Amino acid sequence: MSTGVGVDLDDVWVKFGDFVAVREANVSIKGGEFFSFLGPSGCGKTTILRTVSGFQEPSQGEVRIGGTNMVGIGPNLRPTALIFQNLALFPLMPIWENITFSMEVRGASKGERRKRADELLELIALQGQGDKMVNELSGGQKQRVAIARALCAEPDVLLLDEPLSALDLKLRQHMRTELRAIQKQVGITFIYITHDQGEALTMSDNVAVMSAGVIDQIADGRTIYDDPASPFVASFVGENNVFSGKIKTITKDYAVVDTPAGDLRAKIGTAARGKLQKGNDAMAFVRPEALAIAAGRKGKDENRLTASIKTEEFEGQSYNIFLNQADGAEIKMSLVNQGQAYEHAPGSQMTLSCNADQAVVLPAGALASE
Amino acid sequence: MKGTFFKEFFNRNGPLLGTYLLLAVAFWIIILIVLPQLSMLDYSFRFNLPPSAQGGEKDVYTMSNYQHFFNGSEGNPERLSIFGYQTDIPFNKVDIAVFFKTILAAIFVTAFDLALCYPLAYFLGQSASGPSGRVLLLLLIIPYWVNEILRAFAFRIIFGATGVINTVLVGVGILDTPIDFIRENVALYAGLGYAYLLLMIFPIYNAIESLDRNQIEAARDLGSPWWRIHWRIVIPFAKPGIVSGCTMVFMLTAGALAAPQILGGPSSLWFTQIIYQWFNTGGNWPRGAAYAVVLLFICIVFVLAMMRLFKVKMGEIGK
Amino acid sequence: MRQNPLIKVFLAIYLVIFFSYLLGPLVIMGITAFNSPSFPKAAPWECLTFEWFSVLANDHRIMTGIRNSFIVGIGTVILSVIIGLAGALVLTQIWPKLRATYYTIVIAPILIPGVVLGISTLVFWGRMNAFLGLSDESFLQNGIFLTIIGQTTFISSYCMLVFVARLQRFDQGLTEAALDLGATHVQAFRKVMLPFLYPAMGSAAVLAFLASFENYNTTTFTFGKYPTLTIELAQKVRYGINPSISALAVIIVTITILGALFYEMRKRREAMAIANGAPASAVSGGGFKLPKMLAGNPAAIILALVLIGGIGTVLFAQAYNPQACKVEVREEKRKATDKRIQELQEKAKQRSLQEKLKGPDIFNQPAQSPVPPAQAPSNPGSGTFGDVFNPGNLDEGDAKKTPDKGSSLNPGSGTFGGVFNPKNLNESSGKGTSQ
Repeated sequence: MSTGVGVDLDDVWVKFGDFVAVREANVSIKGGEFFSFLGPSGCGKTTILRTVSGFQEPSQGEVRIGGTNMVGIGPNLRPTALIFQNLALFPLMPIWENITFSMEVRGASKGERRKRADELLELIALQGQGDKMVNELSGGQKQRVAIARALCAEPDVLLLDEPLSALDLKLRQHMRTELRAIQKQVGITFIYITHDQGEALTMSDNVAVMSAGVIDQIADGRTIYDDPASPFVASFVGENNVFSGKIKTITKDYAVVDTPAGDLRAKIGTAARGKLQKGNDAMAFVRPEALAIAAGRKGKDENRLTASIKTEEFEGQSYNIFLNQADGAEIKMSLVNQGQAYEHAPGSQMTLSCNADQAVVLPAGALASE
Repeated sequence: MKGTFFKEFFNRNGPLLGTYLLLAVAFWIIILIVLPQLSMLDYSFRFNLPPSAQGGEKDVYTMSNYQHFFNGSEGNPERLSIFGYQTDIPFNKVDIAVFFKTILAAIFVTAFDLALCYPLAYFLGQSASGPSGRVLLLLLIIPYWVNEILRAFAFRIIFGATGVINTVLVGVGILDTPIDFIRENVALYAGLGYAYLLLMIFPIYNAIESLDRNQIEAARDLGSPWWRIHWRIVIPFAKPGIVSGCTMVFMLTAGALAAPQILGGPSSLWFTQIIYQWFNTGGNWPRGAAYAVVLLFICIVFVLAMMRLFKVKMGEIGK
Repeated sequence: MRQNPLIKVFLAIYLVIFFSYLLGPLVIMGITAFNSPSFPKAAPWECLTFEWFSVLANDHRIMTGIRNSFIVGIGTVILSVIIGLAGALVLTQIWPKLRATYYTIVIAPILIPGVVLGISTLVFWGRMNAFLGLSDESFLQNGIFLTIIGQTTFISSYCMLVFVARLQRFDQGLTEAALDLGATHVQAFRKVMLPFLYPAMGSAAVLAFLASFENYNTTTFTFGKYPTLTIELAQKVRYGINPSISALAVIIVTITILGALFYEMRKRREAMAIANGAPASAVSGGGFKLPKMLAGNPAAIILALVLIGGIGTVLFAQAYNPQACKVEVREEKRKATDKRIQELQEKAKQRSLQEKLKGPDIFNQPAQSPVPPAQAPSNPGSGTFGDVFNPGNLDEGDAKKTPDKGSSLNPGSGTFGGVFNPKNLNESSGKGTSQ
């Protein structure tokens, strides 16, 4: 099982009447991989999951699991198991029957099922609790039962539809680690759906970021964060400051953008290489933690930007300073708390600095709305 | 389109379950609901013939049964007068008067039940919770597990000439002679109002129960007097329940047969009693069917009017 | 609610009025079942008696009616639950464009007046019978068959509503989860959806049985040779009443209250167990410890009290003999009547004197007549005060009162003369319905 079974989406479209829920999805998920679809609600990620699990036939294109085209194969015949957003545990069955439901429908004997249930209960650390009913469990325990139920079906691919969204913050963080550990242990392919970038980045080998039915970027978490492929990805994953303007000068790897805060020299995003020309509308993205208050002489790769201070807030580990560019666009700067107070009069001008390698230039496009 | 629907239907339900669903629903809709109604409609346009002549050449369509409802039997001396202007049209004064009296009385009973039930439904839905609310609900339901006839009978015991009220009133000396509540139809209206009380309370209660208390408190907080809270917040919210309750009570009251038979005064008839008589003592089934069609028609008109008037959808009635 | 004392008082008054309207008739009817006069009366109280229960048990028409009601009820329950379930499941799956039309059609039987359903059933199956060339005695013309069919038409709609309400709380995700775990559609239905619907089946069956048991409007057209209990009751109530009907009502109400309390008790017990964190399986299991069960469960306490009271009443009824009391009451009545006759004779003398002095008009004015004499020709002057002058009437009442208690169509007479004669009432309402 260590190699696992891969999943391929080949030019998949899903349409509901005139509405296009998924547009031209091309994804190749390797066997044994932890793969996430990340995007805001309504972006089509759940629809993609349903085409893989078989609840939704694609309008066009094909879904292959382990190289086999899944067209016309119903959800009950696919080698997938789905963990539902609300878990969908059967309320009228005790835990052990829930877990072994997939064996029951295959006609396994009761003894066999009990034995398997005990094994799985041990895996999820709920030994001896098989006779309880679903409503007697806590949120985290239900979560684990849902995982055990899906694993009992011995799927090649486990699909998870925002399974942690109903849990509180602490439990959610704990379950992340646990899920990752279970995946390592069983070694099968996990496809995970979430709108929480923290979940996607911490657990996944690879992430697909979606907006409005389109997959914007597929890459590992670090690349997604540091080298976004579109303004949407840049603004959706983590916090980012946007500096818009026309390209003043351009080289192979760097471009200078004429922004309201001043000229900004930045690295061209990998996805945008060769697609930008002088005079194009562009956006430069700088993370709040990559900004600093300018001091001393301007370095070689350093940018100097000016903006007016709006407010500031203290967040414990950092100070956040909010500024306005000349056209009103907002800038957020995070400074690590080093024990000294920063006090600046609102309205006063401030000069910021940032390194060209920590700024990314992309062609102008739609941002993620708050 | 149809083909794919059936294919998908059987795909979803399997052959056994799918066949059961389709057969059961088809039997219900076609054999139990649609065909009998159509059959009755057809029958109401026919002459009253002995069984041997049915289907023979004399068995042709006629309007005579409906004509009888409007114009009365032949030689009926009554003539329709419109705003005092006497016309030549024969006019079945007795039946039409009974018809309108039934409708008016049903409206009156409906209004009475609504006025009586709304406060309790509101109280139950918003204020009474926990064990006391449960006990009140239980008290509400118990009378309705008792047979309709027995409930009417109870009213007869109370309002009869030797009934409780008269015995007490005469015994105390307030009255010299007992009041004939039955003849005055007091017993009938009290009994009809009683009979369908629950069908008014429950739809309204269900609607009000789901109203968020905070809405009422917000309105009170904003300085709204209690009547405005009801007028602007509770009643609009409970409207589907109110319309549903009123529709049910009206239909059942207008279509009631047992209560008028048991509690009705000697000089007053309910429209259903006329229908009943055509079928039993009158022995003219087609005419009874025609009268039943008239009743059905007015009920349909009433439901549609209520739905149109209060902008309520069919799906919200009967909840 | 703002706890304004005035509002509280109004609320209390309103609740008292409402619940007296709701429960008063049943209480009064209950009292008449234990009172000895053979016309159901709650006041005046005469003698405690249980004879109406034995009269009821020996009334073979009522007993046959109950049997017919049960046959019809069971048939209707089976058909309605089957059809209602199918109707509700089809509603969840039907083509969205057809859904509104479908819903209107299947909900219509609730809104169609019962008499119309009865008539249409009667007419349709009569013609069907003729069309198939069957005899009048055929299966299709059988009263039980017609009644079950007629009732099923609308009771299926009730059942469907029960299932629809339950299905609305069903998470479609559960079916998908079952499919995803490899179940076929039929397995998913049988193992996940159906168990979820079992409680609704129970409620639908109870509702269907109650609706069938008490149906009058439809049944009155279809019963043929098999009158149900409701039909028999209606006949009795219309054409002659004695308190055995009240006795039946007492039995029905008692069963109802017991059922309701039992249901409430079970619910409380489960709620308590779940609140205590015990597994529900342990609750519904056999462990039936009485004292623990009663603790903090008012419904259970009331249920126990009602049961004890009921058993006590039955035992008491075995030993109790109301004969002595009855004789006493009869004696008292006779004395009262004698006195009354004397008084009336006195009055009559005075009145005839007055009439001679003042003319006839003055006397007739105050004695208001609720019955216009012209409308009740069979009983001239009945209901007016003048009736007491009729010596024949008095004699008749007197004669009936003294000898036999059984044949008393005229039990209340003698106290106030013909005014209270229930026969008047029966006759007049009988006329009303046969006009």
